Amino acid sequence: MTSPSAQTVNLTIEGRPVSVPAGTSILEAAKAAGVLIPHYCYHPGLPVAGVCRMCLVDVEKAPKLAPACATSVAEGQVVRVHTEKALVARQGVLEMLLINHPLDCPICDQAGECELQDYTYQEGRAEGRYREPKRFNPVEDFGGDVIYVANRCILCTRCVRFMDDVVHHPILNVSERGDRAVIGKFEGEDMTHPWAGNVIELCPVGALLSKDALNKARAWELDRAASVCPNCSQGCNVMMEARDNTIVRMRPRPNEEVNKYFMCDHGRLNYRWLNRRDRVDVPMVRQGATLAGCDWDRALAEAARIAAGKRVFVLASPMLSNEALFLLSEIVRRSGGAGAFRVATGPESPLAGVEDLALRADRAANVKGAELLGFVRRERPLEGLGAGDVLLVADEELVGEDASGAAKAGATIVVGTTLPFWARHTAAVVLPIANMSEEEGTFTNIRGRVQRYTQVKAAPGFARPSWFVVADLMTALGGTPITGGLPSDVFAALSAARPEFAGMSYDGLGMRGAMIAGAMAEASA
Amino acid sequence: MGYPHKPHARETPVLSQYFGDSDARTLDGWRTRGGYAAFERSLGMAPADIVSVVKDSGLRGRGGAGFPTGVKWSFMKPGDGKPHYLCCNADESEPGTFKDREIMRWTPHALVEGCAIGAHAIGAETAYIYIRGEFTEPIARMEAAIKEAYAAGILGKNAMGSGKTVNVWVHRGAGAYICGEETALMNSLEGRRGNPRIKPPFPAVAGVFGQPTTINNVETLVAVPPILNNGADWYKKFSRSDNPKSTGTKLYSVCGNIARPGNYEVPMGFPFKDFLYDLCGGPLPGRKFRAIIPGGISVPIQTVSEAEASLMDYEGFVAQGTMLGSGGVIVVDDAQNLVKFIARAARFFAHESCAQCTQCREGTAWTTKILERIAAGEGTTEDLDTLLEIADNMTGKTICVLSDSCATPVVSGLKKFRSDFESLIKKKTHHLVPAVA
Amino acid sequence: MSIREMGGVEAPADTSHGRHGEPHQPVFVGTRKQELDELLTRYPSKMAALLPALWMVQHDRGWVSEDAMAEVAGLLDLTPAYVKGVVTFYTMYHQHPVGTYFVQVCTTSPCQVCGAEEVVEAFLRHTGCQELGVTSPDDKFTVIEVECLGACGFATPVMVNEDFIESVTPEGVAELLSRYK
Repeated sequence: MTSPSAQTVNLTIEGRPVSVPAGTSILEAAKAAGVLIPHYCYHPGLPVAGVCRMCLVDVEKAPKLAPACATSVAEGQVVRVHTEKALVARQGVLEMLLINHPLDCPICDQAGECELQDYTYQEGRAEGRYREPKRFNPVEDFGGDVIYVANRCILCTRCVRFMDDVVHHPILNVSERGDRAVIGKFEGEDMTHPWAGNVIELCPVGALLSKDALNKARAWELDRAASVCPNCSQGCNVMMEARDNTIVRMRPRPNEEVNKYFMCDHGRLNYRWLNRRDRVDVPMVRQGATLAGCDWDRALAEAARIAAGKRVFVLASPMLSNEALFLLSEIVRRSGGAGAFRVATGPESPLAGVEDLALRADRAANVKGAELLGFVRRERPLEGLGAGDVLLVADEELVGEDASGAAKAGATIVVGTTLPFWARHTAAVVLPIANMSEEEGTFTNIRGRVQRYTQVKAAPGFARPSWFVVADLMTALGGTPITGGLPSDVFAALSAARPEFAGMSYDGLGMRGAMIAGAMAEASA
Repeated sequence: MGYPHKPHARETPVLSQYFGDSDARTLDGWRTRGGYAAFERSLGMAPADIVSVVKDSGLRGRGGAGFPTGVKWSFMKPGDGKPHYLCCNADESEPGTFKDREIMRWTPHALVEGCAIGAHAIGAETAYIYIRGEFTEPIARMEAAIKEAYAAGILGKNAMGSGKTVNVWVHRGAGAYICGEETALMNSLEGRRGNPRIKPPFPAVAGVFGQPTTINNVETLVAVPPILNNGADWYKKFSRSDNPKSTGTKLYSVCGNIARPGNYEVPMGFPFKDFLYDLCGGPLPGRKFRAIIPGGISVPIQTVSEAEASLMDYEGFVAQGTMLGSGGVIVVDDAQNLVKFIARAARFFAHESCAQCTQCREGTAWTTKILERIAAGEGTTEDLDTLLEIADNMTGKTICVLSDSCATPVVSGLKKFRSDFESLIKKKTHHLVPAVA
Repeated sequence: MSIREMGGVEAPADTSHGRHGEPHQPVFVGTRKQELDELLTRYPSKMAALLPALWMVQHDRGWVSEDAMAEVAGLLDLTPAYVKGVVTFYTMYHQHPVGTYFVQVCTTSPCQVCGAEEVVEAFLRHTGCQELGVTSPDDKFTVIEVECLGACGFATPVMVNEDFIESVTPEGVAELLSRYK
């Protein structure tokens, strides 16, 4: 044991010794000790309110139960969570939270992921004793993506505090008082702030719900995967949730270094493109005026035949993974070609209360990765296309004059999730790939953080992960094959080849990511 | 007899000396009665010396908690470079209590002076008097007095020529009992909902506007000028010989079913029996006392025998199962339905709950519904057990004590007057089909 | 003694304007604005002037409309939703227009045992309101039960607008109301 320093406090929680920095709350110290203290109003991303009174714990020698969220640790403190006294107090809170609750779990979207359900099941009374009429308030549309079911509300005020202290846009309030109190807003001031949707996850019960996700799935029907939001270069960590191979919801996944506990509404609500049904699901080669389906070997052989000895110009999507982009850059390098990309942009919307968190102007996940891997960002990406080059379009669409610019190419190979309209008459080979929700890989965010995303649903038909397809293509074009058959093997090759990624391993990234070499130096400088 | 009657011979009118004397309201009138002499003297004293006189006097907070005033003042660290504030709690809202109202109506300058001395003693340049919104006349009286005091140079940038800044302002509440809780008062003063704050930090560290703050009740502050004028020893004499912990005179408001309701001022340790029968005239003709609450509706209900055995000071009431509280004496006689009385008290708390803590927001309303059902003859014996369990859940578990206050009359009522509840349950004519919660 | 007799706070001079849905005329113009500016000098934060500002609105308009909340919010650098949260906390601010005379009868326990309920009934009967919280057909009166007015020794205390009247009995209601016709 180390001796207690001025900054560290040693205490015991449920018999487990734990050392935490001075000023830590008992609730956070308990987390560190692996003990969950039930709570509602407390949230690590919000100021402490101490109002739900659910986190009452027994502190040795204290006359009264202490709210764990609002009580700082003290040296030698002995905290007990599961004493009779504390249990009875929490049962009392649970009973009171339910007396006016409609108990409509069977039709509530929150069911299955509801903390009121969980804690009641865990330690609540089997039956309530409330025999009086229940309070009733109407359901209210809060605007934006938010709907408020007041009858289920437990007045924890997480949503109010989020809008006040994190968004700095206080448009939610607690209205009225006593048992008449509800979460209120002002007529005409809707929850349309770009970050307002976070109140949906912050709500521990089924009071604030997403209109977008309403009634789409029960929580237990969802397939979930840890992922990264692909909709801008911030790289917010998310959970992607799918039902029947269709994404129905995207929610923030905590990452202290990137997005804390939040994500913006633009990111949150932009998942439908991942569910497109007009997908290319079979490799194709040109046969006269039409593209004909074929097997992978045939398509890859055709691609190799077309590109043999030619300069390859790659137009890549900044939505592709580091792995796919790395392999594409290898194709470029070997053929003496060039690579370019372009980025859709929009207004930047920062979250006021969190440093360096914003909906970024660049609305693509891997702009930084594309740049690092040698792709040139251009408004007109086909500018560098030489006459007679093989144009390799990787998951990108061409519109307007760019499409006509493509005519300069000697031949066109499309690697994509969908078949662009212009390519129907010009593409020589089409190689179908999975979209990011159907594969795994890494993105590099705006600050140079390399983060993994994982697969949540299956790719259609014969489509394969992008890194897999590009690796095959690279090999077909004469490149050195990647040993092993996993994305981690591609990443290992990437980190061996590129100094920015040196020293990183796929496993080492974990689910929180790691900074590229240059960015680390920048950060520590 | 106490105000609105002439003082009873056994009263000790120190604070209430000029109740009913409309001349005392004006600055001139107040000065001829010795007003502002204490403030003038205090301006020549070191703040620490004022604090020590108040400490020596044994003065304790008259709002309900009874915390020693001098000790509270000594928490304000001089020279910390921060602005200090004094808040005067004139949100008098505890049912049964109406003493501060009379102080402000009749002797507004006494409060201005008390605030000015208090502000100087704690190193504050500004004192806010937070008066409940319903007190229209006290507000007007206080504002008139403050205006006079500014015009006469007693308040302002150069208070009484001392070179010190002493500002006193009235801040009007708008209908919220909870704003009498000190941290809720501070929130209200800042323009927020009157929600009590979690402590720590305590007001002396981070109070109103985030700065060190002291909050004192009206009656506490008006006791300060007489203490400075007459000395701590003089004040300490108003106590019983065997209890030096409670000193000074105390104003009691008396209401309910009693012959002469009103305000009475007696020294600490006065026999409650004499107070009730002699000073206040006992029960109404043909009635008997049934239950007595001596310190505002938040303190435990006493039986008549408990009340008759009580000595009127902080410790004396505790010895008889209740508390001095705010000194609001509520008397209920045998012609009343005590359950209905308690149900109405619970409804008060349900109405006034700020809605922050779960047990209070839901518990006060639930308790009210059960009690009203029992009072209406629809109760069951299980309800009584439920009431006690709810009360237990509401006690000692919330940010402030409003929740506890709602539980108190229920618990003490059921403990001491259970038969009142049971007789209503037995009379029950039909049974409601219970809804399942 | 009432505030009115003392030349203190007056009942709203005109409650015929400012119904729901009518265009909002700003409250804080001219001397009202000056008063607010003067008030702001008493506090280290603008927000602290919120309760006094709302009192000014209610004094001038008889109630606090949502438009007025928005006006106050703008003046004090707050959001309307914040102001509404505060307004709804304090029971003395009217969120809807009320009768010319707003009658509040204390019925909390100490007054209840002294017969406050009969006083309430007398008011409902004599004003023609019939029901608590409902404005009389002639728009003159709104009667509500109020929690402890802090004058328990003078049961039953009643407030009519800013007038504070002590020791009201059921029998005295008719005479009292005659002063407000």
